Amino acid sequence: MVNKSVKTRSCSVATVSLSIMTKKGDDNMTVVIGFEGSANKIGVGIVRDGEVLANPRRTYITPPGQGFLPSETSKHHRGVILTVLREALQQAALKPADIDCVAYTKGPGMGAPLVTVAIVARTVAQLWRKPLLGVNHCIGHIEMGRLITHANNPTVLYVSGGNTQVIAYSEKRYRIFGETIDIAVGNCLDRFARVIKISNDPSPGYNIEQMAKKGSQYVELPYTVKGMDVSFSGILSYIEEVAHKMLGSGQCTAEDLCFSLQETLFAMLVEITERAMAHCSSQEVLIVGGVGCNLRLQEMMRIMCMERGAKVFATDERFCVDNGAMIAQAGWEMFRAGQLTDLADSWITQRYRTDEVEVTWRD
Amino acid sequence: MELRNIEMAARGGGEDCKKEDKLEFRVLHVPLPSEREASIALGSLAPDREPRKGGITKELSALGNVLSVRWTADEARILRVSVGSFLDNLALVLETMEQFGPSVPL
Repeated sequence: MVNKSVKTRSCSVATVSLSIMTKKGDDNMTVVIGFEGSANKIGVGIVRDGEVLANPRRTYITPPGQGFLPSETSKHHRGVILTVLREALQQAALKPADIDCVAYTKGPGMGAPLVTVAIVARTVAQLWRKPLLGVNHCIGHIEMGRLITHANNPTVLYVSGGNTQVIAYSEKRYRIFGETIDIAVGNCLDRFARVIKISNDPSPGYNIEQMAKKGSQYVELPYTVKGMDVSFSGILSYIEEVAHKMLGSGQCTAEDLCFSLQETLFAMLVEITERAMAHCSSQEVLIVGGVGCNLRLQEMMRIMCMERGAKVFATDERFCVDNGAMIAQAGWEMFRAGQLTDLADSWITQRYRTDEVEVTWRD
Repeated sequence: MELRNIEMAARGGGEDCKKEDKLEFRVLHVPLPSEREASIALGSLAPDREPRKGGITKELSALGNVLSVRWTADEARILRVSVGSFLDNLALVLETMEQFGPSVPL
């Protein structure tokens, strides 16, 4: 009887010390899971101290000529989000207990898809009893770009289907030096693709980029840089107006239009980026956002930077295009700086400017 | 947990009535397996406000294992959209709890 109880006790002591050791190991590493779904991509990523453990993603692809609408997009996300979540945990070989914090996109983006993703993040955070953290989508792009490229303090060009901003860090904020005054550059490309029925698979921008390589004739388009800002809606209206006429009469090919549109839009972006660099005396450019994986944009930026003795940093589509790991990475920085979001304050917001966020994790 | 039952409850159990020019869809009661699940569902569904500025209010509460929702709206159309998206979101919460639960004990 005595023997047995002693045995039991020593056994339980061993278990306790083992669990302490495991806990200690865990405490040195911070694991954050990130949920992203502000537009037509849905992704779940897991980051552990600068290491991307998993980053699965699905894209809602619409037929040629059609854009993605909020309710259909959120329906798509609802249908796949739990599968993507399971994939992320499996790829990372982690259990929910290993996770320290659940991050999700608070905004900006489309309302219905944002709500769908936030609901799953809130539910698992409560089920697993983990803290929740609402992340600004734009900050996610910037922090992911910094992590992957090791750019230290770059001027950031953030270009996607919903955003176009030139950003530089100063005094606890990512400050917007220039931006679009109407539609995003990616929106201009996407809508042009719809006009001439270019496929949305894998993305309209990728297909325009491939077609542009075969373009040879430059069609003059409006060039609309306004100080530090850019405007794309007039260019879109113009090309919408002339596209069918020019293609019908054989004045140019669809490839020529793709080429001309890219050259014009990207020249404008490079111009305002160069001006921001001159203003900040910066020698680094980081390109983030879905349009940022366009190699022609990267090439044009590189030419400008070579002339200034500066460096370009960019990532490929895994990290440029919306993904869960970028939310996990920004969440990791915020969590380590002591930030958390109460459940009651975890509402999503369609408008959420990059410069609203206090960057507590940088000097 | 069966959504079909919830939808039927929403149609049959709720009351549409005209009150001070407002449509009032009084209550939708959703029984969940336990108090903890009802509290998680409330926590997941309550934070987001209705998208439109006016014309609709929605109040959520949980008592025991029952999640309750009460709407008031200016127009049936707005009410229908809100109830529809609420049911979609509730279904997602239930599915998430089924696949990634049960809740970790305190």
